[in-house]
Amino acid sequence: MADMSDTGGIPNAVATPGAPGTDLPEAAVHRLGSGAFSSGLTVPDFAACLDLGLEPVALVQGFCVMQWGWYGPQSNFMRGMAPSVAGQAPGGYNEVYRCPHGYVSNEHRTWGQNMEQTWVEAAWAQGYGTAFRRMLEEAATLGAHGVIGVVDRIAPVADTGTTEFHFLGTAVTVTDGPAPSGGVPWSTYLAGQRLTKSIEAGFMPVSVVAALASVQVWAYCMTDYLMRGSMGWGTPSGPTLVEQISKAHMAARRLARTHVREQLEGDELHGASIDVVTRELGEGDEVIDCTLRGNRVRRFKDFDPVAPPRPTVRLA
Amino acid sequence: MSTASGQDSATAPSGTPAIPAPVDIRAEMRRGAQALAAPGVPSSARGVTSDLSVDEALLLHAAGWEPLDLVCGVAVVSIPVGVWNWGSGAISLASDAHDAAVDQAMQAMRAECGRVHGHGVVGVRVEVAVRTHHVDVELVGTAVRPIDHAGAGGADAAEALPFVSDLSARDFTLLRRAGWLPVDLAFGASFVYAPRRTAGAAMKQKTQNVELTNYTEAMYAARESAMEKMQRSALHAGGQGVVEVKVTEGPMSFAHHAVGFTAWGTAVRLIEEAHRFVRPELVLPLDDAVVTFEAESLRGGDRGRSRRGP
Repeated sequence: MADMSDTGGIPNAVATPGAPGTDLPEAAVHRLGSGAFSSGLTVPDFAACLDLGLEPVALVQGFCVMQWGWYGPQSNFMRGMAPSVAGQAPGGYNEVYRCPHGYVSNEHRTWGQNMEQTWVEAAWAQGYGTAFRRMLEEAATLGAHGVIGVVDRIAPVADTGTTEFHFLGTAVTVTDGPAPSGGVPWSTYLAGQRLTKSIEAGFMPVSVVAALASVQVWAYCMTDYLMRGSMGWGTPSGPTLVEQISKAHMAARRLARTHVREQLEGDELHGASIDVVTRELGEGDEVIDCTLRGNRVRRFKDFDPVAPPRPTVRLA
Repeated sequence: MSTASGQDSATAPSGTPAIPAPVDIRAEMRRGAQALAAPGVPSSARGVTSDLSVDEALLLHAAGWEPLDLVCGVAVVSIPVGVWNWGSGAISLASDAHDAAVDQAMQAMRAECGRVHGHGVVGVRVEVAVRTHHVDVELVGTAVRPIDHAGAGGADAAEALPFVSDLSARDFTLLRRAGWLPVDLAFGASFVYAPRRTAGAAMKQKTQNVELTNYTEAMYAARESAMEKMQRSALHAGGQGVVEVKVTEGPMSFAHHAVGFTAWGTAVRLIEEAHRFVRPELVLPLDDAVVTFEAESLRGGDRGRSRRGP
């Protein structure tokens, strides 16, 4: 297996099961060397895969269990430490909000901040990238050209405070097709007819891509008042846009798209899905985690215009 | 283009759509694999991002449109304290907060669409959460534009107010073919206190089978109010009507004495001289349902019975 501490990229070398330098579990070595193929595809997807000239090789998978804290080693920020004291967040999105009231009391929230948690994003990317790389490593070990029908799962491991990244997919070879550049298999969440249509339309899968954007919100007094029902000093009496929280949500979604776009290198992202989880830490204080994933595809021919489809009504 | 029968599509009988030549999908697959066999050339070009399926992207393309970018709009608007306390009639401040949150989220989404020179957003996923002290609205969709955007108004069209629609690419394509254009998302919301009866009325009606007219009237009025607001917002946006209306209703989880009604859909307007009838073809499927065998039928009196599966 490739260097475990490596935080990004995918292996360039093709390993051999059981060979020195690889640390695949023994059962995996036996399974991958058994000669029988396995696949996570449904029968229709399997049939479509064969029609496409793809030969299933084996079910391949990759794991990584990660742990990260709320505050990374680079973070000086905690509630009660003003940005002017603690300095700015290490890179990334950062917005500071100042109390309009002047000195009120020691408990008054005189400042607020929206801050991108770059260390959380880096840890997530490491876990995701490592598990993904290990899956590709299994596929490359078998001489596969690609991995289709990829399923990823990111879930806590019991109540251990850790997160497991798990990838599963079906390694395939392209009949009479060339090996991918550098021996690194291509990958896609698609399989079956959806993959067939994508190829027919001229889009070749390059890789599954995903990114997490994590934004922490430390509410200042106005946000705190508004999120508790506008009972504060100087807040409007009617419904009011909570600017700090709204901007944090928009920033999380924008950052996730930016992080994914950085992985596209000019290719396109199809079938994107965006998931947002908000964890409330207190009145107005929260963490917004936005995950964006999709299929990076490369156009290999001009888009053939399809004939306008004919609307039909089915007589049952 | 040649048809499968070798007949040139240009000479196909009038009214008969040309049949595209069959594609050697295995050759296409090898061609795609070939494209990845050479090292990729780093590019700074801004690639397309979209949450559309392959089918939707193809449909859009067939209609002369293309996806541009994934766009979002989010807004959180506060609800003043005391709004959910017991009272009677409509809870107008909650409705105002809902409307403000929707407006702000749509503004944010339109701004993102405008930045990528989109002419509109399709397939918008709408999520609205009403909480005790705030309303959260999230919109996610794909910005699109005509492929021939220069010929379709070009920069002017992009700078105009982009449309926002929760119609799928299929429905958008069908709507355009019928001569209509989505204009905007139309929203309406109404919140009311569940009416109360006097103790005397409650006692009197306890043993009767009667309609509780105050309940009927309050709920009726609230539903109508939500729908009326939705239609008003459609007219305000320049629409002539609303399609794909969704209606939600139910008590607030944090205040069971208050009931919320929301209605939303896509406002549309006719852009052609008249509605164009789509004329769908009738299809009579000949693939009968498969007769499947039930192992359970071996037991008891149902022996030998089979059922028709899908």
